[in-house]
Amino acid sequence: MSIPTTPPGHGVLRTGRHSLLWHRRSATVGMALAAMLLLSLVFCLTSGDLGMGEALAALLGRGDEMQTLLVRELRLPRLLAGLLSGAALGAAGCLMQTLARNRLATPGMVGIDNGATAFAVASIVAVPTTLAPSALALSGAATAAALTFVLAAGAGARGYRFIVVGLGIGALFGAATNLMLARADIDAANAAYPWTVGSLNARPALAVWLLAGGLALGLPLAKLLARALMLMRFSDSVAIGLGVRLSAMRAATLALSVALTGLAVAVAGPVGLVALIAPEVARYLGGRHGVPVLNAALAGALLTLLADWLGRTLLAPVEIPVGIVMAVIGAPYLLWIILRQPAGRQP
Amino acid sequence: MTSISPSTTAPLETRALSMAYGERSIIEGLNLRLPAGQVTAIVGPNGCGKSTLLAGLARLQKPSGGAVLLDGKAIGSLPTREVARRLALLPQDASAPEGLTVAELIRFGRQPHQGLFQQWSENDQRIIESALRAADLVELAERPLESMSGGQRQRAWIAMAIAQDTPLLLLDEPTSALDLGHQIEVFELIRQLAEAGKTIVMVVHDLSSACRYADHLVAMKDGRLLAEGAPSQVVTAGLVEALYGVCCTLMSDPLSGTPVIVGASRARRHEAAGT
Repeated sequence: MSIPTTPPGHGVLRTGRHSLLWHRRSATVGMALAAMLLLSLVFCLTSGDLGMGEALAALLGRGDEMQTLLVRELRLPRLLAGLLSGAALGAAGCLMQTLARNRLATPGMVGIDNGATAFAVASIVAVPTTLAPSALALSGAATAAALTFVLAAGAGARGYRFIVVGLGIGALFGAATNLMLARADIDAANAAYPWTVGSLNARPALAVWLLAGGLALGLPLAKLLARALMLMRFSDSVAIGLGVRLSAMRAATLALSVALTGLAVAVAGPVGLVALIAPEVARYLGGRHGVPVLNAALAGALLTLLADWLGRTLLAPVEIPVGIVMAVIGAPYLLWIILRQPAGRQP
Repeated sequence: MTSISPSTTAPLETRALSMAYGERSIIEGLNLRLPAGQVTAIVGPNGCGKSTLLAGLARLQKPSGGAVLLDGKAIGSLPTREVARRLALLPQDASAPEGLTVAELIRFGRQPHQGLFQQWSENDQRIIESALRAADLVELAERPLESMSGGQRQRAWIAMAIAQDTPLLLLDEPTSALDLGHQIEVFELIRQLAEAGKTIVMVVHDLSSACRYADHLVAMKDGRLLAEGAPSQVVTAGLVEALYGVCCTLMSDPLSGTPVIVGASRARRHEAAGT
């Protein structure tokens, strides 16, 4: 048997000493996801009686006043909020699953979403502050992550201990949220409601901008970590033997995952199921090759847009929050994916 | 096997090396020079610190005192990627993500030599081909790792270490879970790598195998060095008793001339010998 000049299933680009290697199937999946994302963006912007040309004109501020308001003030911010938070959660989920070597270890599962929710709800119903709920959501995410990390004993945190501690922290914050809502008066509880289910309706612009900045920094950073992430799937001693600075890389992966989650939850609330499903979709489509952070981000964006669209149209004019749609379509899909594959497989 | 006196150059050595797990000291004040271009076997009873020593040599675990020197420099002060270009490791708990093929596993051995914009060179290709050939895995290159026998899998891991293209290779009990045929397969591959010029350090459980396949023996007990040198010179009935607390007779292997242990039984004067 002769050995091919590039690894099977890969393409290579070479100029002088520089070379780039890519996995063909992963690249194809990425492009297909990006194309579908673009299509659904156009579809959502132009839905209703708005034509393609009119929507574009409105987007550029040249349409009539009503259409410009509809596209630029109502539709676009909501689509951006969904796209960005979905992408951030998808990437964050993929990172944390790889870090913990467990497909269940997503930011939502280890209590980060609940921490963010509890802080945001507290700012509305219990401890009135001048800070925006989204700023508090961010600090809640960081607090929950820090607690989980410290209680699960530092940088070696992985596997079951990390998940079990995270579940506990999550339950604690969940209980705190419920307690606050039960004691609050009905108006305050109503105001806090979107934070408990995840919604893309009228999200604060500043939080969306922060999230966009976080993604612009975070995704290239995740790409830089990709080589270390691949080696983290081996046993620790193998990874160190191949020259990975394991504790530094783990800390960077965790920090990135928590930051992306926090920024996303500060925009959309706890729609954390995206973080569980998007990496599964990316792996299912792209094969077992590598750690598909970017494809998970694309899949997360697409899923969130679709879930939000379903939520707006299914029972129109009543709107179902995106977090609930995600749970309703996501949970059975996740069960199917887990049941059709042998248990205990590593990410 | 001819016994060569340890050459003067030692790519890997320890200076007053101490290793500990928390408060519990495992190794104390160990001075070792591992001879270049030879196979060194580290032997000793369970819990003597031989795997801990290997973990120290491979910078998996930080020393509690003293230092490990790689080409004369403290290994902890070198960037870990730089170390990975000089020293390859096959740990005992080596495990890979599921679904990986043999060739994919071996390609990971090139990681320390690759960069963000040097992801695949003709040199990588050449070295992987020769690693596949050296480990006799060309026909199995596209098979998933899980589908292979224990011996084949171990050869694949060694091939990954070969692809790392380092002058030094460290192996922690490379034959521990293998039957006799596969053990010999792996040991012969290790010999072949040493003939090609690699310096090899391996932890071996079985003293007879260590005598048969190593040029240099390091015998440890309770974290201390008991004996060091060519197997035919250092292995005596007294050493075996001191190491394992058993009485035995040593014979010479009629083919290789290396020591073989026969008639081992529990030493009667164990307590007296132990103290």
